Amino acid sequence: MDAFSEELMGFVQKDNQVEASKDPVPEIHLPWLSQHIQSTGSHGQKGTNFAQTTSICLNFIQEALLKHQWQRASEFLQCYLQTLEDINSQKRQMAPEISLQHALYLLHNGMVEDAYRNLNQAESWRYGEMSASQEKLIKLIQAYRGLLDYYTWSKKRTEVSSFDMDGFATNAATQDMHSYFRQASVNLHEIIKIPGVWDTFVKSYVEMLEFYGDQDGARQVLTDYAYDNNFPSNPNAHIYLYKFLKKEKAPEDKLISVLKILHQIVPSHKIMLEFHMLLKKSNKEEHHKLGLEVLLAILDFSGCTENITAWSYLAKYLKQIIKGKHREWVQEGWSSRKDWWPTFHFSYYLAKKNWKENRILALKKAFTSGILLGKGCKYFMYVSKQGHKIREKSIKTMKKFVMKHNILDSEEH
Amino acid sequence: MDFPDNLFPTFFLPGPPGLSDSPASYLAPAWSDYMQLLKPPQTQDPSINPQHEASYVTKWGRWKSDTPGPLPFLLPGADPWDPELMSQDLLFRGRVKQPARAKATIDVIEQLNHFLWDHGDIAFGPLGMLLQENFNLGEKKKSRKNKMVMNTEWLLRDLNGYQPKGCPWAHLSTRQRRFSLLGGTVLGEEVENLLGGLLHEELETRWKRLLLDEASTGGALGWVPGAKPHHGQLVYPTGRAHDQLNFQKVKLSPTNEPQALGDPSHILLRGPVRQVVTRTIQGEALVAVRSDHHCALWKLEHRGPPEPLQVLEMEKEATGISLSPHLPGELAVCTRSGAVCLWSPQHGLQQIHKDPETFVFKDPSSWRWADFTAHPRVLTVADRTGLRFADARAPSDCGELLFRVGAEASCQRGERVLLAQYLGTPDPLPLSPTLHLVCTQFSLYLLDERLPLVPLLKWNHGLLSPPLLAQLLPPPYPEAPLPLLLGGLGGHLRMLHLSVGSGRTPQLAAPPQSLPSLIDSLPGFPVLEPHGQQLLQERLRAPLTGLAAVVPPGCPSPTMLLFQLSAAGDVFYQRLWLQPDTSSESAGSPSTDHAEDLGLNSHSQTSATSSLGTVSEPSAVSWKPRAVACCRRWLKTLLQVPPTLPSWTPPTFSQHHLRWLKEENKGKVQEGLRAAMAEGRLLLQGDLAPLPPSDPPPAHEPFGTEDKLSERLEASWERKGAIWWDGQRDGSRLPRKRQSREKRRTQLSSSFSSVRSTSDFSDVNSPLPHPPKTPSPLHRMSETSQSLELSQELWVKNIPRERRQTLRDYLAVLPSPDSGNCSIPQFQNPSSQSLSTSEPGKCSVPCSQNPRTQTLFSPLPESYSAFYSQNPNSQSLYSQNPNSQSLYSPEPAFNSVFHSQNSSIQKLPSRHTPSLAGSQPLRKKPRMGF
Repeated sequence: MDAFSEELMGFVQKDNQVEASKDPVPEIHLPWLSQHIQSTGSHGQKGTNFAQTTSICLNFIQEALLKHQWQRASEFLQCYLQTLEDINSQKRQMAPEISLQHALYLLHNGMVEDAYRNLNQAESWRYGEMSASQEKLIKLIQAYRGLLDYYTWSKKRTEVSSFDMDGFATNAATQDMHSYFRQASVNLHEIIKIPGVWDTFVKSYVEMLEFYGDQDGARQVLTDYAYDNNFPSNPNAHIYLYKFLKKEKAPEDKLISVLKILHQIVPSHKIMLEFHMLLKKSNKEEHHKLGLEVLLAILDFSGCTENITAWSYLAKYLKQIIKGKHREWVQEGWSSRKDWWPTFHFSYYLAKKNWKENRILALKKAFTSGILLGKGCKYFMYVSKQGHKIREKSIKTMKKFVMKHNILDSEEH
Repeated sequence: MDFPDNLFPTFFLPGPPGLSDSPASYLAPAWSDYMQLLKPPQTQDPSINPQHEASYVTKWGRWKSDTPGPLPFLLPGADPWDPELMSQDLLFRGRVKQPARAKATIDVIEQLNHFLWDHGDIAFGPLGMLLQENFNLGEKKKSRKNKMVMNTEWLLRDLNGYQPKGCPWAHLSTRQRRFSLLGGTVLGEEVENLLGGLLHEELETRWKRLLLDEASTGGALGWVPGAKPHHGQLVYPTGRAHDQLNFQKVKLSPTNEPQALGDPSHILLRGPVRQVVTRTIQGEALVAVRSDHHCALWKLEHRGPPEPLQVLEMEKEATGISLSPHLPGELAVCTRSGAVCLWSPQHGLQQIHKDPETFVFKDPSSWRWADFTAHPRVLTVADRTGLRFADARAPSDCGELLFRVGAEASCQRGERVLLAQYLGTPDPLPLSPTLHLVCTQFSLYLLDERLPLVPLLKWNHGLLSPPLLAQLLPPPYPEAPLPLLLGGLGGHLRMLHLSVGSGRTPQLAAPPQSLPSLIDSLPGFPVLEPHGQQLLQERLRAPLTGLAAVVPPGCPSPTMLLFQLSAAGDVFYQRLWLQPDTSSESAGSPSTDHAEDLGLNSHSQTSATSSLGTVSEPSAVSWKPRAVACCRRWLKTLLQVPPTLPSWTPPTFSQHHLRWLKEENKGKVQEGLRAAMAEGRLLLQGDLAPLPPSDPPPAHEPFGTEDKLSERLEASWERKGAIWWDGQRDGSRLPRKRQSREKRRTQLSSSFSSVRSTSDFSDVNSPLPHPPKTPSPLHRMSETSQSLELSQELWVKNIPRERRQTLRDYLAVLPSPDSGNCSIPQFQNPSSQSLSTSEPGKCSVPCSQNPRTQTLFSPLPESYSAFYSQNPNSQSLYSQNPNSQSLYSPEPAFNSVFHSQNSSIQKLPSRHTPSLAGSQPLRKKPRMGF
């Protein structure tokens, strides 16, 4: 028979995973294929077997749920429950997963203790041989249990600090707290070694380490979380490290180097404004140059076009740079943007819109556009004209500066 | 931009899709849909227990519809539509031996077999032409000239009288045996190999397209908001070839149904419209259209026709187009060559990525897709295996991956990207403009471009057709979740509710909802008799090729208008509005709704059952008289559309009939053919030979008082059958009895043919006051009979004697023409016809089932004028009229061409379009039954 018919047959036999695992990349699997085939195949035979009936029933349930017809869904569900008796071992192995879901659900509804009990049960669940994936799942469950331990620890900590207790009671409470810390830290430490996104776990773990004065350990955890190549590039990891170092009063160069990496990953992050200030304050000239690039990169993004802080920083910084005789920095930053920033930021439409909605923003942008595009720029012209009409004071100084210092005219000189 | 400062815990384990070792994949089906409903516990202040939020329904209400299904918005077009190829047409339909292991087989052998038998002329014709020099088929001169010529006269004589269709006991003469031994290999295998290979390839392509028609990815229905808040335009293609781009002005009303304002203005393109993208940015409304080998951009003015800005022609098929949400007039275009270009009318084309290989692993598909990101100079490029960033400032082929079909996203085996869409728009959406939607055949993923490879949300959509359409809508209330619509090609629609605050990870805020598709409107239509019902059902089941949701401003309660475009060119709409929840008190605690959400997942039935009893069912919507009237009006027009002719009719002329002509007649035939072709009209009977005044030969005669059969048999035995027949014809008049018998036979055969043509429903009594003026199936019958008649006349004089008996037997079996219906009025209008080929042997009568498509794509200038003369008001943008310059330039691949000055976009004068069937005069109704 022909090759692609063979493929079809392969598709129909859904659970035929063993066979399919021979080649590393299987063909595209189209779930609606069986529908096409059923519409043809049902001519010959009428009866359907049990498995088919249940799958049809499941489809009905799903459809009813999607249409929010709960009554109808429950009726089908009663029929479907029969299949539970037929449940196979693979499904039983999924029990821990369901427990985890249930625990999260309980947690979500504020039933922390029930959730804890549930996770304990899930952890001890054994059915057949434990696969590698189940092992990881158990780790996740343990991590969540660790998180709940951390909650208790945190609660105890507030109790200890707030209540005026005698020495013995405090000591007991502290010991109790410490045992929770140990329980939590074991589990949390385990999970954050595995590549993944563990924001909650890392934060909790670091908080506890900090509390017990293990600054080096905390720093190590955060550094690993941020810089381990096996982990996804998670901006939060860099933020946590930065905030930790900042709290630790680390030298500015250190802070800058952390944020420099974040700037490369997420140039639009709001912490970049802080980064700009850091760079501005720095003594090194290369940092000053980077400070401009950081601002321009923030304004490249569509979500930041109306960020008034960024625009006023830029206006101020441009002034400073030009006065500091570093016009070439501006030209350098502008060269890669000159073909699209005029339409993106400085169009006539936007001038009208900005002026109407946010006058300060319009003024900041007009100044920048004047510096970058010269006095003939539509945006600059519109805003200065409108500003002139209402006798805005800053317009005059702005015009003067732009006439003298815009990078277009200076190029010609 | 705010980044969520606390992401949901997840493993990150790179690997191939379906890796069993990854716990995420193990969790996949349940994990995402349910877990995403939960917020991660707050670590900031753990002393406070996480509060359970009021459910979506209690807080915002339910999306409800006025009608149980979508209603027709525009009347059906004048062109008929047929659902083309279906899986039933391709798959083996015989009994399955092992029902437990059902097999689907594309029955190539059976199809090939039928083809060889039914259309031997086509299958063996070319081979016959090659061999013709060496075979003498009856010409006397030929055999004397050349010794390499084999005389087949005796061979043909041996073949007379029977057709040994695979019969092992059929008598074979030595000559036949020798011929089949020598020629069998050539005749059999070559045809089988060449034709079989091609057929297999064709079937494979068709089958793949049937399962996944990627051409319509993105959708071909666009909405452009107008200058006034309640006005706008729908942009969509119609026509059998989807080549007519329509701009329909629409007026929205806060309380009433939307209104179509006048007839749409339209532009006729030279290719099918596959995708329509619309966007209004910085006050400029733009429409971008993707055809197979062209992409075009229009600017919509508030007044006046759309202004064409630029057209791009590409060598390889274009697979995706998207309009920039940042810079007006900037587009991203990608083709099957693997190239992705940034295109703007001002700056032209800039190739930013080219890689014929797929990103992550090897996949044969050459489908590519491109969209924008939050950074105006960075694009995403998608193929079936993943998404990748491409920076226009530094073009390279190895940008960072945003999404990978693999273990990180816990993809399944065989999972592929079907749709990728950038969700962020400059509109005041409370959404960080960094989100991307990725749809595979199983799941929907939401990704943040600042956190590549880790989906923020995964939902198993469970659609039973490829999800090729998606649209994110603004929230109905500030702070409310955003509705996200997902449409499958099979008409399946899902609405999700995304809660996305700035600095929060996107989550599903409520159980996803399924919305009615066109076929759900079937109960709103009156019941028709089977033919009409089938037509209606097919029409409503047509693939969903476009989706546009519009939020009319100023509505008392949040409203959404959902326009749907089907492949048949129908535009339906449905009005949804957010009804505040009144049953929340009776529904019990808010947590029940979350328990309901659990019910989505088959693993958690227990919790679902416990809560289901307490929840009241949303009240069912019924068909209101107004909606029914709307459906009726639409149906009435639909039934007036002439039905489609069957997609293929067997050729009725063949080389056989022509070959046996005598020399003098041959010349006449050729003359006739030439004349017909030069005039661009159909070959008529009169062109070939004068009609000999003779009656058709009688069929089998029963034994009676005059035992003519015995006489004939006797005469035939002595090889004097023809003389006997001549004598009969000249000498005696047929008795009346026989005439009546013949008449009965004709009736029988005509009713047979009317039953056969299932697509004709007009002959059945229609519920309409005026029966539609559609051609009766008799027309087609007369085409056949015409050719038969022709051959009948010819055989008497021109066919060698040894062939006559075969023909006679053959003709006796076929229905003979009703002498009253023998005229051929359906071809009175020569301009609506054109011969598809100049080859004399292949001039089949119904040359094209789709005269419009054919004329449009035909290279003959005559056919243009032939088509446009019918419709003088609607001149084509691309006609070859020297006055109107071509918009689609004939320049080589990937050239951008500036628009023509005199583009002509006119109002459609009427819905009537000339068509083959429509131009025929009304004929007598066929007789049904016996």
